[in-house]
Amino acid sequence: MTPAAESLYLIILGLAAGFFFYNAQRLVEYLRVGRPEDRTDHPLVRARNLVSIGVLQSKILRDPLAGAMHATVFWGFMVLTVGSVEILIQGVVPSFTYAALVSPPLYAGYVLSQEAFALFVLGAVAWLFYRRLVLRPKRLQGDKLEQWDALLILSMIAALMITLFLLNAFAIVSGQQAGARVLSTGLARLLSSIPPDAAASSRDVMWWSHVLLILAFLNYLPYSKHLHVLTSLPNVYLSNTSGPGTIGAMRPMDLEAEGVEQFGAADVKDLPWKNLLDGYSCTECGRCTAACPANLTGKVLSPRKIVINVRERLLEFGGMPTGLVHGEGEHEPDARLLDGYISEEELWQCTSCRACVQECPVSIDQLDTIMELRRNLVLMESRFPPELQPAFQSLERNGTPWAFNAADRGEWAEGLSIPTMADCSAQGREPEVLFWVGCAGSFDARAKKITVAFARIMQAAGIDFAILGQEEKCNGDPARRMGNEYLYQMLAKENIGTLNAYRVKTVVTICPHCFHQLGNEYAQLGGHYEVIHHSQYIERLMAEGRVPLSNDNGDERTFTYHDSCYLGRYNNVYDAPRRVLPVVNLVEPVRNKSRGLCCGAGGGRMWMEETQGKRINIERTQELLATGAQAIATACPFCMTMISDGVKANESPVPVYDIAEVVASRLSAV
Amino acid sequence: MKIAVCIKRVPDTETRIKIAGTTKIDETGVKFIPNPYDEFAVEAALQLKQKAGGEIVAVSLGPDSAQETIRTALAMGADRGLHLKTDGQPYDTLAVAHALAAELKGYDVILLGKMAIDDYNHAMGPALAELLNLPCVSAVTALTIDGTKGTAEREVEGGVEVLSFPLPAVITTDKGLNKPRLPTLPGIMAAKKKPMESKPAALGATHVTVRSLALPPERPAGRIIGEGAAAVPELIRLLQTEAKVL
Amino acid sequence: MILAFAESRGTALRKAAFEAVTAARELGDDVHAIVVGPSGIAAQASQLDTSRVLVAEHAAFTQYNPEATAALVAERVKTGGYRAVFFVSTAQGRDLAPRVAAKLGAAFAPDVTSVATNGEEIVVTHPVYSGKAIATLVLTGAPAVIAARPSSFPPARTDSASPSVEAIAPVGDPSASRVVVTELRTGGGAKLDVSEAAIVVSGGRGLKGPEHFTLVEDLAASFGNAAVGASRAVVDAGWRPHSDQVGQTGKVVSPDLYVAVGISGAIQHLAGMRTAKTIVAINRDKDAPIFKIADYGIVGDAFEIVPALAAAVREARRSG
Repeated sequence: MTPAAESLYLIILGLAAGFFFYNAQRLVEYLRVGRPEDRTDHPLVRARNLVSIGVLQSKILRDPLAGAMHATVFWGFMVLTVGSVEILIQGVVPSFTYAALVSPPLYAGYVLSQEAFALFVLGAVAWLFYRRLVLRPKRLQGDKLEQWDALLILSMIAALMITLFLLNAFAIVSGQQAGARVLSTGLARLLSSIPPDAAASSRDVMWWSHVLLILAFLNYLPYSKHLHVLTSLPNVYLSNTSGPGTIGAMRPMDLEAEGVEQFGAADVKDLPWKNLLDGYSCTECGRCTAACPANLTGKVLSPRKIVINVRERLLEFGGMPTGLVHGEGEHEPDARLLDGYISEEELWQCTSCRACVQECPVSIDQLDTIMELRRNLVLMESRFPPELQPAFQSLERNGTPWAFNAADRGEWAEGLSIPTMADCSAQGREPEVLFWVGCAGSFDARAKKITVAFARIMQAAGIDFAILGQEEKCNGDPARRMGNEYLYQMLAKENIGTLNAYRVKTVVTICPHCFHQLGNEYAQLGGHYEVIHHSQYIERLMAEGRVPLSNDNGDERTFTYHDSCYLGRYNNVYDAPRRVLPVVNLVEPVRNKSRGLCCGAGGGRMWMEETQGKRINIERTQELLATGAQAIATACPFCMTMISDGVKANESPVPVYDIAEVVASRLSAV
Repeated sequence: MKIAVCIKRVPDTETRIKIAGTTKIDETGVKFIPNPYDEFAVEAALQLKQKAGGEIVAVSLGPDSAQETIRTALAMGADRGLHLKTDGQPYDTLAVAHALAAELKGYDVILLGKMAIDDYNHAMGPALAELLNLPCVSAVTALTIDGTKGTAEREVEGGVEVLSFPLPAVITTDKGLNKPRLPTLPGIMAAKKKPMESKPAALGATHVTVRSLALPPERPAGRIIGEGAAAVPELIRLLQTEAKVL
Repeated sequence: MILAFAESRGTALRKAAFEAVTAARELGDDVHAIVVGPSGIAAQASQLDTSRVLVAEHAAFTQYNPEATAALVAERVKTGGYRAVFFVSTAQGRDLAPRVAAKLGAAFAPDVTSVATNGEEIVVTHPVYSGKAIATLVLTGAPAVIAARPSSFPPARTDSASPSVEAIAPVGDPSASRVVVTELRTGGGAKLDVSEAAIVVSGGRGLKGPEHFTLVEDLAASFGNAAVGASRAVVDAGWRPHSDQVGQTGKVVSPDLYVAVGISGAIQHLAGMRTAKTIVAINRDKDAPIFKIADYGIVGDAFEIVPALAAAVREARRSG
């Protein structure tokens, strides 16, 4: 390179780097708009997530084909970046090469890796073009700007690979050593008719093209969804969605804190900075929205849109021109995030099933943002669907979201000789385990049968257990998921007080929401207990041989099992319920385990009307019925209600049972 | 505008009633709430203040627990509280009206619910107005105040009465007047710091006392006479011969 | 001597007027009545089963005139030395009686279901806590102001009474009252009010939608003189107006016959109708609480049963 060219290169490099850092610094500044938060805890768990989800691409591979393609491009980028550095340095030190720094075999390996991955990446990009332009999967459909962004990126990547190959090919034609550059050598043969001088100039042209492409690409990132290449690995490290800490626990909130004026989030400045980083990291892949039970039944909620809107609003708030950055939905200029970008309607459609969080390849927590916005709606503005008012009032006055008389709570146990904790305390003894029944199991006519079935199993196993009876209050989950943190903490603190007064250590429950609250979220308020779901407890008892089952093979009917979101995705309990079902034949619905479709009742939606699209429970029930099963098993009273309604709506005779009921029906006569 | 709202602490109607002794209900396990009709009054006061400016005083008569109820009104947006302290909850409407009247002179508007859901007396508003010699409209389902003139509507059997009245006045509120706003969390927090005055209530003479409280006689259990439209002839027969209503 | 306030509207006496007289008789036989109204009301006086009727006629009494009426009644009680004055807790009575009581510094008991005396004290009963308990109250001192619960005392109508009718003058100028009723709007089509009808047919959530209330209306029509009521759930949902609501926060009714269609029987509703003489319930859920207090219940689909019942009622009334 001539000195003039070198100077030009340095100037361009300086400008490009400078402009990039300017934008990078602005983006980091914008993160400061959000609330502070400490994410330095659990470094080892975070590092493990970084390796498995980030480097090893575990989440993206949940879609095998597209995942493999992306992983190829990702790993390719990692590997090729090493080569890019070499190329960039050559602009200043033209003779620079890694060969001078490492042993020949290592260098040969390095060169081969560059060749191989450039080819793999080119192949993957070709397939990705095909996918975008021909296959056109639904979840990738966005507006024109989004399409152009995607195609531009793919084109740039392809161009980078092509210019790389040509660069090396021309270099070889102009006399340079080939070494392990197998493919470039092959390409060079095709170009061998070009005279060496022309080849040398072509090589330079390719070099400049490649370098300019790199610098252009780098500076395009802040204006594109491709910003994720810079932010996704940090995002995975800093994320809480796969542990560290308790999975699925809602963000704690200190209501007594002095000087706090804002509860929940109405705009980007109220969201913690991590939620804003989530906005930068979204690749717009749409996997979250494709898995969202609300969205796939025709409702407006789209988790992807929530995250994109956060980014859109943040960049507008900060003052970065957003014309090139893809947004979603309509909005007024300078409107706040809530109402301006994200509507109340969208927020209330969420069932908190966590499928979006489960699917996100870069560990974005869409649900956290939704819940912070809900908290603002309820706590700061008292805005919520009117049908929630009786539920809130009943929780406050009655300790249960349904309008039942609190005095009737222990009625299901009449005649079953089950002591209450108060009874035990009066006798000066502590039972082995507390059976926390929950509101559905205490008041709902159908759910009471689950309660009785499980009580019978425990009695048959000789377990020394007690119930709280009238001292039990709603665990508070509906209030918390509906955004009413104040009401939740009131209920939770009362329950924790009761449980601690009785020195309860171990709790077993039939409801996954109670299970999740008492086991995972009560710790935030001082309640620490070992909490076991009845499916796990029955499994444990069976393993200890304490459940006297009749000797036959089990229920002859073909069963299918519906995974509860709060048992499954929130707590990873998928196998216990399946293992304890004493049935001959268990079939799985298409969407099962961590991909299971929600029944529609979570997130407080049990108390809300569903006004748009198809009913979620009908969608799920049809899927369960499509397995051809003769009976459906559930492990949650909410799922029981929703699926039973779905079965009735489909006019199907298929019965719905809780796993405890199936086990209880197989108890040998005691 | 000087606005006063009177609110009463009452047991929640979901509660099962048990009698303790002979003259009181058993309060264990009973949840107490602000009288729902008084909440319409608080909301009306807040809307009035939003329109005409001024200050809202939330007043309640009763033992110390009445302060809880005042705090709810403060959380909704009232400015200060006045607690008139008594031992227990006196039953005699007029005796209580005297105590309120002693404290509520000089207000432009006094609002309260048409009745309390515990004693079902429907009387405090007009009684209080008489003692203060103020005009009174009771059980209003629509209300407009313009300067010193007011118009209101109230439901009567088979129709709606439209009334006009001057301020100052006593107004009692009925369901349907408005939708009481829910306290926001900041409102609840602020309520803890708003001023609350507590003084003994100057009750009037008592002429009505509760001799006893009893559960109503059990209605004899009814019977299901049949299923579906096939049961209709039997029902007709019973209505004709047994109940003699047809 | 006992005074009974005979409520009127325009130039007609209302059912409450006669109920007040019956209630007053619980304290003694010497009952007088007092009536206010526009000119022409005096002609109605002879229907009242009392020994004397005091009538004040004035144009300013064409509509309910709370201040002038209260002033007049209070003055009459004082100057006439009456032991007690009786009202009925209608919309008007609830507004009027407390005013009179405050003016007189009286022992005041509204909404009573029974009245008794041993000479010295007057003892009344009054439902409290949404009807979940009955309070027995003792009134001391004189005079007493008592308002009867509507439909708790039978209306004492008579053709044979001939009370002496005395015209009296209002106190002050009735047209100078501060509170003025400027208009009485009667609901579109002179609808029979739930609290006045002898038969009430109510519909609830079980009807599934406002359009199905036509079934309830038809059943009410089949009885000839029935009013249509509604549970709180359907009023809250906007299907029916609040004035139709029967229940603890709506109207308390005590008809001869109450038919509950698609109403589960939550405690708030029961509080409004449990004193009906005969209760019929139609519901598809055999465990619905309403069946516990209904005298006669039919389990099944309201959409089948109600039309059949309406037809059968029409038939029975035609032939009976």
